[in-house]
Amino acid sequence: MTTTTEMPSRPSRFRTFRAKFAGLLLPGWSALVILFLFTPIFFLIAMSFNDFKTIFVWTKFSTHWWGDMWDNTTMIDALVTSIEVAVISTVIALILGTLAGLALARQPGRWTAGFVALVLLILVTPEIVDGAGQLSWFVKLDGPFRDGLTPIVLVHTVFSSAVVTLIVRARVAGLDDRLEEAAADLFATPMKGFFQITLPLVMPAVLSGGMLAFTLSLDNVVATSFVSPAGTTTFPNYVFGLSGGVIRPEVAAMSTVFIVGTLVAIVAVAIVLRRGGQSGTEIATTFTGN
Amino acid sequence: MTATVGATASGPPLQKFRLRWPKFALAIPSFIWYVFLFVVPVVLVLVNSFGTKVTGTPGKVDLSSPTLERYREVVDGSFRTVLKQTMETSILGTVLCLVISLPVAYFLAFKVGPKAKVVVLALLMVPFFTNYLLRTLAWKIVLQPKGFVSNLLQDSHWFTLGQTLRDGPIQILDSRSAVQLAIVYNYLPLMIFPLWVALDRVELHLREASKDLGAGRIRTFLQVTMPLAMPGIVAGLVLVFVPLSGDYVTAKLLGGVKGNMIGAAVAEQYFNAQNAASGSAIAVSLIISILLVLAVVAGVAWFAKRLLAANRKVTVPER
Amino acid sequence: MTRRDDTTRILISEEAAQRLARVVSRRTFLAMTGGVAAAAALAACGSDEKSSDSSSSGSDTSSAESTASPSTGDSSTGGDFDKTINMYTWAEYDDLDLLKSWGDIKLTIFNSNEEAIQKLVQGGGSSGFDMVVPTGAYIPQLVAAGLLKEIDKTRIPNFSNLDAAYINQSWDPDNKHSVCKNWGSTGWIYDTTVVTTEIKTWSDFIAAAQGEASGLTSILDTAPNLCGMYFWANGIPWTTEKKADLDACEDFLVNEFASHIKAFDSYPGINLTAGSYALSMVWNGDARQGLIGVEESGGDTNQYKWGLGAPETELWMDNWCILEEAKNVDAAYDFINFILDPANSVKDLQFHGYNTGIKGVEELTGDVPFKDMIFFTPDEVARLRAGTVNSGQDRLVEIYSNVKAKAGG
Repeated sequence: MTTTTEMPSRPSRFRTFRAKFAGLLLPGWSALVILFLFTPIFFLIAMSFNDFKTIFVWTKFSTHWWGDMWDNTTMIDALVTSIEVAVISTVIALILGTLAGLALARQPGRWTAGFVALVLLILVTPEIVDGAGQLSWFVKLDGPFRDGLTPIVLVHTVFSSAVVTLIVRARVAGLDDRLEEAAADLFATPMKGFFQITLPLVMPAVLSGGMLAFTLSLDNVVATSFVSPAGTTTFPNYVFGLSGGVIRPEVAAMSTVFIVGTLVAIVAVAIVLRRGGQSGTEIATTFTGN
Repeated sequence: MTATVGATASGPPLQKFRLRWPKFALAIPSFIWYVFLFVVPVVLVLVNSFGTKVTGTPGKVDLSSPTLERYREVVDGSFRTVLKQTMETSILGTVLCLVISLPVAYFLAFKVGPKAKVVVLALLMVPFFTNYLLRTLAWKIVLQPKGFVSNLLQDSHWFTLGQTLRDGPIQILDSRSAVQLAIVYNYLPLMIFPLWVALDRVELHLREASKDLGAGRIRTFLQVTMPLAMPGIVAGLVLVFVPLSGDYVTAKLLGGVKGNMIGAAVAEQYFNAQNAASGSAIAVSLIISILLVLAVVAGVAWFAKRLLAANRKVTVPER
Repeated sequence: MTRRDDTTRILISEEAAQRLARVVSRRTFLAMTGGVAAAAALAACGSDEKSSDSSSSGSDTSSAESTASPSTGDSSTGGDFDKTINMYTWAEYDDLDLLKSWGDIKLTIFNSNEEAIQKLVQGGGSSGFDMVVPTGAYIPQLVAAGLLKEIDKTRIPNFSNLDAAYINQSWDPDNKHSVCKNWGSTGWIYDTTVVTTEIKTWSDFIAAAQGEASGLTSILDTAPNLCGMYFWANGIPWTTEKKADLDACEDFLVNEFASHIKAFDSYPGINLTAGSYALSMVWNGDARQGLIGVEESGGDTNQYKWGLGAPETELWMDNWCILEEAKNVDAAYDFINFILDPANSVKDLQFHGYNTGIKGVEELTGDVPFKDMIFFTPDEVARLRAGTVNSGQDRLVEIYSNVKAKAGG
């Protein structure tokens, strides 16, 4: 007599429903969270089309602030300052971070643990502590540290280079170091080996790191508010300084430009990385600093 | 006769740069940079906290007679309430972030195909890369007493059986709730990504093996996936908790007086009260509080782990 | 068999080979960094960054030519100067169109004198501003710190337009360092639907804050105003330096008042009418702007009521000052002369709602909304008391910090 293995009976209708519901739970929740994350941003962009002189009270639709915002020279200056500071601090952060990342990955030793601990400490310390200390330090040093873009650029580079270091280290650790050895074996000087082999291979990490450093610099408010000299300000700090008074929709309009600009830059870098062979997931991982 | 081998084979001389520079050579510029711009300032904060206010010269501190007076002011004075409030907000905020993010991270790591994954990731990255200050300002618009959301809640009859959801305008702004809400919002992306990466790294075959051995989905999740992802999860928690505790912007924009946080108090001491010494003491107290909380949580976790270890039926091999 | 082949052959894994093949070449990398560096250099040169040469022709001036209404006297400089000024001032304090008709004025905002002085002293004389608009009582402090330039009144012919009552004040005899911009006072504004009892004095104000408007009250974000409220309500001169008075003030504010405060807000006019507060301590011009805003957005201004402080309240005067470090001194003089022209002064007044102190300005100002909030009756003027910065100032700031901290608890 043949023994038949009994197939499990068809699940009851209730269990199918429950399974379907459970199956929708996760995507549903995720959709809600994404909606939640986007909502305030929509409100801000919407308010740039408000006619009234404050973004907090809606009267009627108007686009005149999009034209008027170019007359606010203080705001435009702040935007330009933001970009200048971001570019300069990104370049510095890239140089420092790439070198350090390379050293961490290629030349590990007893020093590695300590240095990584320092880097992690930088990433984790609340910005208020950083900013307060940097202000006191700059006031003590005086001179160029209290003037122009210098203090702002300096404080932005700290966090940015720490991030770049970790990104580059992660990337380089995954590379085959025999490529560099091979280059050396084939008579490449260290410099040549660096520029023709190592650097190109690390390029995706450098690009992602650079993009992250750039956005972090644009984003920085707390440390900047502590150290920036009275007449110089970045765009987010300009908005922050307005928070006591009236915030006109032109600020919302410029904020929209700012947000969209950042996103465009990120997409551009993502496209370059994609062309270079990175998968979407890889790009996301490095972009978010993991 | 032994000939000293002079020049080697023809060709450029080989130089192994590893022999000439110390190992950490490339990291030296960074190291100096960090010492100058991070270590010294933080140490300075510590040092300043023992000083006295210098009237009329902001940012300077009188260190001629070191004193613990500033700390006494923190402990005895009104800052203690703000500190306690800040810790409450940050602990609650971190927990909320975790609870909200975990399903999303799980969904992203395990339930989404590669193409959709890129789309969802891209969507999540937009708020992540939107300026922090602007997002906080946006909440001020959303929560306006006479704004869209408030009016909606006051006018809408249809889904609450004729009763409106609210009698009057929402008064969430300038309160602790507003700060709590906006803080969770602001740090959510910062929690989602590390969680996702941590879960993503849990190898598929381990989870499949668990299911093959009869564990249900939930059991697999609790006893296999979570423990394996734990280091990443802890990293995410710390990455959110610590900066959140020191938050300044959210409290300043949305907190009014009731939603004050330590970060804002430090800034105020530095800028309004021109008292860098007090500001430093408060900042140090913040760090101490954070470390205390972390130590307590770590202690509890270690204890819980030991308790649970006895109960565990599935032991995952060490990686 | 030898091959004349100059290509280099590398033995590597397939994965690495693919990566190498798609990699950015060295030249492209150098080009990129070079491009970035060039862009940064260009941006640095082209912008209005103050550390670069400021005498270069202004790049962002929207209207470089002066199309100002005819002033009754030209500033006697005669030279060629850039009509650009970096001004550090209060919020919503000048008609932007009027400023633009003169030239390019960049405004940076502060919320209190303490904040402004903090930044200026910290800047150590290189804050980047040309002019600052401090309240009179704080000018001695700025002069002592060497931050203000002495004003040469011969360069301001329109100075004679100012009413005698508003020049030569005790904190700046003979106007060596300041020129009156406008003066104003402090009072309250409240939502009558929430606060049903009429508020006539500061005691009423305090009672309402502790009662109907508890948790919906805003106070001006400056120490003297916070403490002043207590002193005015209790018949104590608000410039008192007596320890007993200050102690009593702190005791009351911290223990009985702090918990009712919702926010410290120096510009609550619009916020109150937007529903954030039910009761606010406010400056007259800001309250007026709030009410005008209600009109413009189609609301009912009768819902809100303004009152000037009683039995006593503040008399403050804000002033144009030229900073010692100013780079555009000629422009500063020209602007001050411009703004002292009666026609321009009235235009500015209509925007910010404060009495600018020009002779006959009340008649010159035609029919404007809420005129009674700008020009006070003699009875009202009798209630105003000027403030000073004295030895009590530090204590006031301390009380203010403690109230803030306690209010959060």
